[in-house]
Amino acid sequence: MKSNSAFLTIAILLIVSVVFALTTGQYQMELTTLAKLTALKLSGQQPGDELAMPAMVLWSVRLPRVLMALLAGAALSVGGVVFQGVMRNPLVSPSFLGVTHGAIFGASIAIIFFSKSAFFVESFAFFWAVVAVVLAYAIGNRGLNPITTLVIAGVIVSTFFMAAGSFLKYIADPYEQLPGIVFWTMGGLNNVLWAHVTRAFVIVSSGIAVICLFRGRLNLMALGDEEALSMGVNVKWARVLFMLFGTLIVAAGSSSCGIIMWVDLIVAHMSRLLIGPDHGRLIPFAALLGGVFLLLTDTIVRSMPGGEIPISIVTSFIGAPLLGYLLLKQNHEWKG
Amino acid sequence: MQDHEILVIENIDFRYGARKTLSNLSFSVREGEICGLLGPNGSGKTTLLKCINRILKINSGRITIGGRDLAKLSREEIAGLIAVVPQELNVVFSFTVMQMVLMAGSIRFGLSGTAKRNDHGHALEILEELHIKHLAERRYNELSGGEKQMVLIARALFQKAGILLLDEPTSHLDFKRQYLIMEMIRKITKEKDLTTIMTLHDPNTAGRYCDRLVMLNSGRISHQGVRDKVFHAAYLEALYDMRIDMQRTDTGAEYVLPAFKP
Repeated sequence: MKSNSAFLTIAILLIVSVVFALTTGQYQMELTTLAKLTALKLSGQQPGDELAMPAMVLWSVRLPRVLMALLAGAALSVGGVVFQGVMRNPLVSPSFLGVTHGAIFGASIAIIFFSKSAFFVESFAFFWAVVAVVLAYAIGNRGLNPITTLVIAGVIVSTFFMAAGSFLKYIADPYEQLPGIVFWTMGGLNNVLWAHVTRAFVIVSSGIAVICLFRGRLNLMALGDEEALSMGVNVKWARVLFMLFGTLIVAAGSSSCGIIMWVDLIVAHMSRLLIGPDHGRLIPFAALLGGVFLLLTDTIVRSMPGGEIPISIVTSFIGAPLLGYLLLKQNHEWKG
Repeated sequence: MQDHEILVIENIDFRYGARKTLSNLSFSVREGEICGLLGPNGSGKTTLLKCINRILKINSGRITIGGRDLAKLSREEIAGLIAVVPQELNVVFSFTVMQMVLMAGSIRFGLSGTAKRNDHGHALEILEELHIKHLAERRYNELSGGEKQMVLIARALFQKAGILLLDEPTSHLDFKRQYLIMEMIRKITKEKDLTTIMTLHDPNTAGRYCDRLVMLNSGRISHQGVRDKVFHAAYLEALYDMRIDMQRTDTGAEYVLPAFKP
């Protein structure tokens, strides 16, 4: 697809899906009501009594949730793009370096030993996600082929944190703590507040901005270490920078909504197929596509007739078969 | 050809772990020369190229480029002085030829590495010079071996460095393309005032196109000097450990053939 038409299509999709998400759900809202409430907000007027209920749903529940879905989707997808570029492998994602299981472990510790307050759970999840990546990097960044050893180190660290997380689930109080851990593991955007959105916005947007700033170096890193070195990139520092900011945005984007599986891998891959591998276009496109993908998925899961289901169930149902298909399709080189 | 020594290598050693790969090498290359590194497999030719580009760091000795100590230069400075054409480049992601060429200027373009309109124009000029302009929007991964090699040379030219390092530039090419690539390398070296250093497997290619030869055997220099002083059957026999006949064509050009006893 031509670059400009791809961006135009995704921009239109973004607007349509935001309007769809704001008007859809257990409480259905007419388009005219949405327009009225937006006009009132823009002119600084308070809605009358008849609009009090939809105004509350729109401004306090739905809009923060929609924005968080866009932010989390963008963060996960750009994280996926960055990790795939740095590791020169279209089948890896932040979760391969232990981000996911590190975060689950951190959140479980917070829920069991400290407090179920969102601040503790998110901070611990973020901290342990970073610890997992640092550990994987410390173990894996050696030898003549650091990319391969890094991926293996990621598997080791993930396995360790998965075991530790399972142990925490085993000792958790089955009535008080376990449901919280399980729900956080499966992810969901149903507890999003404006405070979460603001915090995530600051970290995710500045993280993506830094990554975008160095997009040329990311292109060179995607060619290989020797190539990047020959063309003037300080590869060790560049790898640390990209992995640190990649982890930062993924952790910040998903810290208030738990673990949402597969989005990083699928969207990064789809974006590369649609727009090509140049990170100057790929990063903004993946951010938009990731936002739209997660927003639509979230709108579907919260509109289910029997009540909301955890979002990772749906993303995994889409992601796992898709990855299997991609693996089968992959030959010696990658067309994306 | 000028008399100025652009690359000076003094007593360098390099070890892979405990194994000494390069041992006490010293030689220099003058500005504008084509220098060929000859030697059997495993003699350390590619390792030497990587040391010259500081992909590998030497254990002792000194390499200077235009009088500047390589060890004290930043990666960006080295990229401004030396461009590399690898033997083979497999790219995981499908960049187009134009993207591949423009990437070579990333560091020059500043922090974001974004090319401007006139950079596109310049890249197209280089592709045209190498007769591969028609490949500009093709995906690099889909090209043939010869086309890929030309793209890698175009990319190295776009890097605008004075020294060109090529690792066996003809190893994957058919007979005709070997000749075309070598003619192109000679042409761009002379026309763009470059200094070219390349590893070669074929002594006849080296004898035909190089101004200077460095013969490497088990990580040591066996012979080195300007082409006419070292392109001798005896030196090549010692280098490759085989009998070699030196012959002349009707035009007087020297070439070597393996000599077998009847």
